[in-house]
Amino acid sequence: MKYETVIGIEIHCELKTKTKMFSSAPVAFGEQANSCVNEIDLGHPGTLPCVNKKAVELAIMAATALHCEIDSLVKFDRKNYYYSDLPKGFQITQQFHPIGTGGYVEIDTEQGKKRIRINRIHMEEDTAKQFHNEQGTLIDFNRAGTPLVEIVSEADMRSGAEAAAYVENLRTMLYYLGVSDVKMEEGSMRCDVNISLRRTSDDPFGVKTEIKNLNSISNVQKAVESEYERQSRILDEGGVILQETRRYDEAQKTTVSMRMKEGSVDYKYFPEPNITPIQLDEAWIRSIQQSLPELPRERKQRYEEQYGLRSYDADVLVQNRELSDFYDAACQYSKEYQLLANWTITELTAALNKANRKMAENRCRPEDLAQLVTMIKAGEISGKQAKEVFADVFEGKDPKKVVEEKGMKQMSDEGALLAMVQEVLDKNPQSIIDFKNGKDRAVGFLVGQVMKASKGQANPAMTNKLIQEELKKR
Amino acid sequence: MIESLKKQDVRKRCEEALQKAKEYQHVLNAVVTFYDIEEQLEGLNAIREDAPLYGIPVVLKDNINTKGVRTTASSRILDNYIPVYDAHIVEKLKAAGAVIIAKSSMDELGMGGTNRNAYTGKVNNPWDVTRISGGSSGGSAVLVASGAVPIAIGTDTGDSIRKPAAYNGIIGLKPTYGRISRYGVIPYASSLDHVGLFAAAVHDAAKALTVLAGRDDRDMTSSYEAVADYEKAINSDIGGKRIAVFDNVLEAIEDSRILDNFKQLCETLKKRGAIVEHVRLDDSLMNALVPVYFIISNAEATANHSNLDGIRFGMREDGDTMEEIMIHTRTKGFSSYVRKRFVIGSYSLFEENQEKIFRKAQKVRRKIVEELARVMNGYDVLLAPAASTVAPHDEDACEEKLSKTYLVAENHMVLGNFSGYPSMSVPTGFLEHMPIGINMTAHPFDEQSLFDIGAAIEEETGLKDKIAEVKA
Repeated sequence: MKYETVIGIEIHCELKTKTKMFSSAPVAFGEQANSCVNEIDLGHPGTLPCVNKKAVELAIMAATALHCEIDSLVKFDRKNYYYSDLPKGFQITQQFHPIGTGGYVEIDTEQGKKRIRINRIHMEEDTAKQFHNEQGTLIDFNRAGTPLVEIVSEADMRSGAEAAAYVENLRTMLYYLGVSDVKMEEGSMRCDVNISLRRTSDDPFGVKTEIKNLNSISNVQKAVESEYERQSRILDEGGVILQETRRYDEAQKTTVSMRMKEGSVDYKYFPEPNITPIQLDEAWIRSIQQSLPELPRERKQRYEEQYGLRSYDADVLVQNRELSDFYDAACQYSKEYQLLANWTITELTAALNKANRKMAENRCRPEDLAQLVTMIKAGEISGKQAKEVFADVFEGKDPKKVVEEKGMKQMSDEGALLAMVQEVLDKNPQSIIDFKNGKDRAVGFLVGQVMKASKGQANPAMTNKLIQEELKKR
Repeated sequence: MIESLKKQDVRKRCEEALQKAKEYQHVLNAVVTFYDIEEQLEGLNAIREDAPLYGIPVVLKDNINTKGVRTTASSRILDNYIPVYDAHIVEKLKAAGAVIIAKSSMDELGMGGTNRNAYTGKVNNPWDVTRISGGSSGGSAVLVASGAVPIAIGTDTGDSIRKPAAYNGIIGLKPTYGRISRYGVIPYASSLDHVGLFAAAVHDAAKALTVLAGRDDRDMTSSYEAVADYEKAINSDIGGKRIAVFDNVLEAIEDSRILDNFKQLCETLKKRGAIVEHVRLDDSLMNALVPVYFIISNAEATANHSNLDGIRFGMREDGDTMEEIMIHTRTKGFSSYVRKRFVIGSYSLFEENQEKIFRKAQKVRRKIVEELARVMNGYDVLLAPAASTVAPHDEDACEEKLSKTYLVAENHMVLGNFSGYPSMSVPTGFLEHMPIGINMTAHPFDEQSLFDIGAAIEEETGLKDKIAEVKA
């Protein structure tokens, strides 16, 4: 790379509360337009904000997971600007005293682990949604007043892959916390990426552009990479980068200018007089912090250290919390952790995809999959049989019963098997001679004969072993 | 007055109140919207007859939201605004049996002290209709002073209840900040706005406060402090009460007749056993009252009224873009007086000005409050004449002169808004047939001292229930 890419990211994330940040109207997605609003959300005269305690709790959870320092004195400020999606003509936010400051997020890069520093996390309210059509503009105020946290990183990322890893990491973390739905496509998590280039890491930061409203993690990476191409081309030609807001156009696979940033807007921030500072009880904060659920990075570490999973498998599981929860539940019933992981990641996922079921609709019980894996490991059924049994386990059946019903229980009784082996050997003297003459395939033939005699129930591995031993004795 | 009204038939007393307000309208111009009271009279069937304000006619300042009834804040921009919800105090008043007969005129959005800045025109003083009512709660003040209603709701950001009360010879109460919920009250400046009331008698004011006060979860600044039965607790035996006379105000008043009336009152209070001593606040802080008030109130106001943009409610002027609609609506919807205040407020919030103007004003406000607390330490109330003159003639009502009289004598009551301390004006006499009065400020949530001393003053002056005769 000719230039170093410098990336900072701002993420807006809708909090999963029942009601809005400052009003008792319900928070909902996909409801009929303007049905989830009250006089506060519409900015009617005389309305006053009332802070949603649950939103503060969720923000504290997020700030804690981001290793931020919590400001126990909660204050809000007004950000003043006129826009038709902003009912009050100001947004209530935390400009001067964010609830969390100075944290970090750890990501995996090709060079190993890397910390991305978090500048701040603060609470604020969302705006209304606008729809522009030929007749004019329609405004849906359902979203207005929805609680948000804004998470601002330092400019610590250096590639599209790192940017994507950061966003993915935050997304899974916030999801595990239960703080947000983090659905980028529905806008419950929105991502603005600031990018600038410089020759070397010793140079000062270059002029940055901001790419707004990226709607998927892969687009974060693509947008950064295409913006690198665009900016580096300009710099190569001796041009200057303009400070502007851009968006990523998926069809053109490039960023497109939205508007110039002509100096910064003066939002005339000042403290919100209708919310006097709220001193949070330190014990309440501690109780929230102590009851944080296990976070993805911790879970991955547990999988690797305690269950001995491969890093890749641990990652795949952790990225899908529901799948990972299923795996954790199954691990309560079997210690065959890697085998369980394999079955969870490949067989279960494939079956779900094929049946077009979400994890929430999954009928397979973790204890049954654990049982199945145990039976495989104990040699009670063959791998081939296991796949057949799984088809029923996937529908919620007990694997032991399935095996019984299908009469496919594997014969692993050494005494019984040995008798069968002896019988087959006695009947096939030519094979013994062939074996002695170095024809190893004779073993395969003999195993096949035992399988046939046992109607396929003989444990193939054990049969093979016994035949080899008996042949040597003769 | 409430108790004597209660001897009359409910329908009769409410209809008479409405009738009087209508008769006086062409003289006083106090009302923006009259109510049809039938529905409320029927609604009384669901209320116990011993409810404190059962069947008592009241008036609301037109910045109190009333569901389904036009609420304009005397601004053109809200001329067609019909609220979708009731203010908290409207719920409280209705539950207490009160019957709202009218919404009263005010200075546009509460901005002003004369009531000449109302979209429906100036309001006249019932004692002399060539004089101003004072403002911004002028309509409510004159409807009590003229005897139309015993109680009227006002709001007070600088002295918008207490000054018009003094000009109209009635009780004007601004309780402690947080004592009465502001939910549903169209604001001027949130950190200074108080809901309060006018009455013709101290007992009625005390009764009304008990109805209106109390915690409301929709107003985070409203207090959990228990609400007393203030009327029942009134004790006009003020022996031992410690009263601090506010010397800075006395020094700034030129009219010796006002000073004589005040001195006489002090002697009377002493005779009743009160301890009357003199205090003074730092002069430079006193001179800062007006500028600090202007900066803070207008900074908050400019944001508070940014919702009035013509998009969702209120009047709308056309434009080709959303931005144009907003600009045209706001240009036409507000008077130039209000727009001027928005400019002042906005200017003080600009990033390059905020530290040296707005933030500095907030710091000086804190110093002023600390100074007030210092001089009031050891006293029950701070006492001063409410104004330096009687209600001026319309043409003399000039605001914003930087004289000592203006800076101190005409604006000292803003101390109650800076501090949130409860404050009340009480009439004490007449000067050339025009009422004059005093103002008292007590410690937070000690409204009772105001009522106790107010009742004592009332006994001495004999001005209880004194109302103006209006020649309709």
